[in-house]
Amino acid sequence: MAQPQLHKKTNSKLEETNSLKGTLASVILLGFFIIFTWVGVYFLFLDRF
Amino acid sequence: MHMHKFEKIWLIFGVGALLVFLSVLGVSAFYLGNQPPSCLATIDQEKVDTLPPFNEPGLKKVEGKDWDYELIFVAAAFAYTPGEVEVPLGAKVKVIATTKDVIHGFQVAGTNINMMLEPGYISEYVTTFDKAGEYLILCNEYCGMGHHMMTSKIEVVE
Repeated sequence: MAQPQLHKKTNSKLEETNSLKGTLASVILLGFFIIFTWVGVYFLFLDRF
Repeated sequence: MHMHKFEKIWLIFGVGALLVFLSVLGVSAFYLGNQPPSCLATIDQEKVDTLPPFNEPGLKKVEGKDWDYELIFVAAAFAYTPGEVEVPLGAKVKVIATTKDVIHGFQVAGTNINMMLEPGYISEYVTTFDKAGEYLILCNEYCGMGHHMMTSKIEVVE
């Protein structure tokens, strides 16, 4: 009787860990922040003598 | 190997960004010829005052080179020689500097000229002074008690 319940539990856990939407969003945000600051400093460098 | 679709996306994103940054660095170094300000030129630090070009610090017009002027600076605790210098607007200048004693900094505030002056080494930077104004030179390497008072000035005049 206990076994089917166990199976159900592991299934729902797997689905939760497989959703990486939040991770993707934070990685992309961090990536754009790094690119934005890098480009900003690069253009500051080009503008100065 | 199983990989999540999102993991592929940010790996490609990360590797792509890395390649772009490294390409910019490579073009700057190998195509444009940018190098560190102190690049293998050496000098006997005990004899800086007697050796050219450092026996005559200041701005000098030169012929037959890629730049029009050479701006010679000698740093020693706690001052630069010259203490003030005028540069004509639009002049292409090679800044050549060294130190007589300890490590000093050579930062022209608000510009890309920012070098470390190491005893026994000559630091150089070629640039075109294309904006008029007064530029403060300051030491940004702690050199001793008078470090905070160690300044000089470049005036870019028309």
